[in-house]
Amino acid sequence: MSGYWTDIVTGGKSLVTGLAITAREFFKPVVTEQYPWEVPTMTPLFRGHIELIGNEETGAPNCVVCGMCQRACPSVCISLDGKKNEGGKGKVLTSYIIDFTKCSLCGSCVESCNFNALRFSREYNLASFDKNDFIMDLIKRLEEQNRCTR
Amino acid sequence: METSMWHALLYLVGIMAFAGVNAAWLGWCERKGAARIQRRIGPCEAGFAGLLQPLADGLKLLSKQLLVPQGVDGIIFRVAPVLAMIPAITSMAVIPFSENIGARAMELSVLLLFALASIAMIAILLGGWASGNKYALISSARAVSQNLAYEIPMLLTVITVVMISGSMNLRDIAIDQQGGFWHWNIFRLENGHFLTMWISFIIFFICAIAETNRAPFDMAEAESELVAGFMTEYGSMGFGLFMMGEYLNIVVGACLTAVLFLGGWDCPFGLTPGIWWFLLKIYILIFTFIWIRWTYPRTQIYRLLNLSWKILIPFSLANLMVTAALIKVF
Amino acid sequence: MHTLVCQPADAPALFSAEGLVGVVFLLTVALVVTGALIAVNARRLVRAVSGLAICFTGLAGVYYFLLSPFLAMMQMLIYVGAVSILIAFGIMMATPEEQQATGMHSKATLAGPLAFSVAALIFAALTLLGLKTEWQVFPRQGTFDIKEVGLSLLTTHGLVFELISIVLLLAIIGALVLAQKGRN
Repeated sequence: MSGYWTDIVTGGKSLVTGLAITAREFFKPVVTEQYPWEVPTMTPLFRGHIELIGNEETGAPNCVVCGMCQRACPSVCISLDGKKNEGGKGKVLTSYIIDFTKCSLCGSCVESCNFNALRFSREYNLASFDKNDFIMDLIKRLEEQNRCTR
Repeated sequence: METSMWHALLYLVGIMAFAGVNAAWLGWCERKGAARIQRRIGPCEAGFAGLLQPLADGLKLLSKQLLVPQGVDGIIFRVAPVLAMIPAITSMAVIPFSENIGARAMELSVLLLFALASIAMIAILLGGWASGNKYALISSARAVSQNLAYEIPMLLTVITVVMISGSMNLRDIAIDQQGGFWHWNIFRLENGHFLTMWISFIIFFICAIAETNRAPFDMAEAESELVAGFMTEYGSMGFGLFMMGEYLNIVVGACLTAVLFLGGWDCPFGLTPGIWWFLLKIYILIFTFIWIRWTYPRTQIYRLLNLSWKILIPFSLANLMVTAALIKVF
Repeated sequence: MHTLVCQPADAPALFSAEGLVGVVFLLTVALVVTGALIAVNARRLVRAVSGLAICFTGLAGVYYFLLSPFLAMMQMLIYVGAVSILIAFGIMMATPEEQQATGMHSKATLAGPLAFSVAALIFAALTLLGLKTEWQVFPRQGTFDIKEVGLSLLTTHGLVFELISIVLLLAIIGALVLAQKGRN
């Protein structure tokens, strides 16, 4: 019988506490972002699909076409190609295509790159009706970025 | 009171409008309230602050096909949602909104409200049963056992109010509480009723939540266990009518609580009684309904029945005896 | 309220107050009859119970026309709200599947006509009785009040009241005993 009364008292108290908590939350400001109207900025460590890093002066890709990223990729989604540099040493990147439908964002490509040529982008608006939209040409992307910044 | 045809028509239209507007926009209030408690914004796209959302929802429901699945009892399946809506609207006829606004100041209006509430219960029972669906069947069994269990303490607490006021007419009960909050049944100074009536009020309010099948007592439509309970097989406006019936039952419950315990249209300080006080009270009570729904998780069916049979009923019985004693002693 | 008693001798116009009341009265009677017919004839138990509920609702209306709103409310509260729901509940607990039509092709071929003739006889007798009797309109004694009902229940009909409470007590004890047995 003693449990009966303590149940009622403690139960009632806990109910009132619950109500007090929700009442307090009711008057606190909203924390959600209204996505299409408010565009959030991604954190530095956000992993979007990879992108090429351009040379700060010329804007040309830092990539030397060593192919380490291609070899490091476990999902075989990177395909790149280059040609001999005319009038200089090394190679120049001619195409760098990533199949984002296969990418698992593991980051092995970024880690394996020794020439500061790859990084994660902060792209997150990636919804599409077409699968082909996710096979991305990163050189084109870099050119567009260069056009925007310069 | 003069009863011309126009009077009746006016009240009919007025009550239908009040019921319809409440049924539609309480859904909006609920979503907004839930959102604020969870620190979201809630509906905000359709119209200013999402105020047109109920219209959009209504249009969507109306434009959907009224599907009657195979194996259901066709007639009863179609009648049940209507039956859920009828008693809620009819109940409005006897609720005194203010001294002069009230369709019918009937003797026995308290009894009428409970009689109508039992029809709402039948609607859930039939809707669940006719669906020919196990989830719906379990849901209606739960709803009925829950409603039967909670009707007892509810009636017992109402009897305390009826004893104090000496009338079963809601209007008389409200008039009896005029003149400031110390006359209201919940804080009534006279005869020392304030000692026990606040317990009555709490019991009544808990029962009102349970009778309207609201969380934390929404065993009948427990989504996580029973899909949507008795509404599982309903789509389109059949579902819409059940929802509107639920919201209207909340309005009726709030009106009843306001009249029985909170002095109806009386001003707390005894100054300017009027319909605005009544509306203020019922909307505060409705907000409390929403607030409670979004605070507590769903209980279990046996806990729910235990609460009624082991706590609410003994307390309301003791309360009844104390109230009777207080009336006799003073 | 006093003009509600229907007088067939001077039939009022349909759209006068009395006429409309008459229409409502006929509707309630129709509700009783159709409800009862559904309850008896329905093949599915759900429909039979709903028919019973309709019949009870109609009866509540008849009580209202007999100037006894208290009884009407009680009829709704107890018979519609509790009795028919309990019946439905009982059926639901016993047979979750839709009941097959039983007893429609009973072996006792005599039972049907016999029951029908007995029922017809009773109906004819009651109708005759109703038509032959010279009905007296009793003046209403006092105003209708629940207080009077309560007073008479506790004074004039005190013994009956106590007997009913004993029946209820027995029912509760019986239920407890049954439940106890079920548990062990």
